[in-house]
Amino acid sequence: MLASVAMEIETRTVGMGQILLARNPGRLTAVLGSCVGVAMYHPRLQLGVLGHVVLADSNGRPGPAGKFANTAVPHMIQMIEKEGGKASGLVVKLTGGACMFGSGGPLNIGQTNIDAVLLALAKYSLRPADQDFGGTSGRRINFDCATGRLTVEMVGAPAKHL
Amino acid sequence: MTNAAVAEQTRLESLHQLLASATHDASAAMCRWTNGLITLTLDEVREVPLESTCNELNLGDDLLTMVVLTLEGDVGGAMILTFDESNARHLAASLLSRPLSQDTQWSELEKSALTETGNILGCAYMNALTRLINADLVPSAPYFIQDYAASVMQQAIMAQAALSDEVLICRTGFHRQGAELNWRVLFVPTEGMRRAMEKAMGN
Repeated sequence: MLASVAMEIETRTVGMGQILLARNPGRLTAVLGSCVGVAMYHPRLQLGVLGHVVLADSNGRPGPAGKFANTAVPHMIQMIEKEGGKASGLVVKLTGGACMFGSGGPLNIGQTNIDAVLLALAKYSLRPADQDFGGTSGRRINFDCATGRLTVEMVGAPAKHL
Repeated sequence: MTNAAVAEQTRLESLHQLLASATHDASAAMCRWTNGLITLTLDEVREVPLESTCNELNLGDDLLTMVVLTLEGDVGGAMILTFDESNARHLAASLLSRPLSQDTQWSELEKSALTETGNILGCAYMNALTRLINADLVPSAPYFIQDYAASVMQQAIMAQAALSDEVLICRTGFHRQGAELNWRVLFVPTEGMRRAMEKAMGN
């Protein structure tokens, strides 16, 4: 008799300022408001790294690498290089950067974060293969490290697959 | 405990004392607004690491109904009134003296009842803080938001995150005739507000 065995896929949550790596078939998840989710996938190695970027620029201040766009992107690439990958082999997807409180106040932190991530990626000649950012709603994201698919859910809208 | 830890504990206790006073005023306003049904208590004032803020406050990826008020400026912050769907519907029905709505959408009148609740609560809290720290605080108009609570919290703590890897959170609970309700107020002061509160307490 064949027994069916359900394999539980490990899903880990990436908190604010954190960067996590997962291998096929792992999944990484996060909830984003004005923060930006940077998903990097290496198809050959079948591994993904998700960064939960809080602010644009560290200005030299110490802190977790994942907190700032200008430190998160290099750190994420280093993590992949340690696994034998190269920046040129990466598929990058971006999401988040909402302005949750209407006007966003004097600074639209979400847009500032997006601009900073794009700038940091450009230093490695990387551009997002797909993106879904801005607006005034939060996002729940799920990064499937078996396929590199990034699922983005927003309240009252159908899920998007990047 | 190190000297620094003792000093930090003392600062948090002072802040707790000041915020308890503001919560008392907000509770009195809430009690009047709900005909004596609802009161508030300050549950905790604490610092939490940035990356685990949402976990520590049990703000996962659940959808919540929220009313948000912000204070712009250096001495600023954000106040978030959170409810689960059921509690929010019950409050709106009670305030409007109507039967519980079975509609999946929120009517403008129901939203208005909740934002007014946030307004009354927030203004009482901010008026108390204005008096206690001797600074003019003018809250924004309240926003009605239905979203992931963690998303909203992220924006609220941005000003603190820019300066520190830990954030100060004040959590307030609600009671109806002694029984705890699944409502909360989270007050997230900016660093400037924190300094003003500490100064007012003589720290």
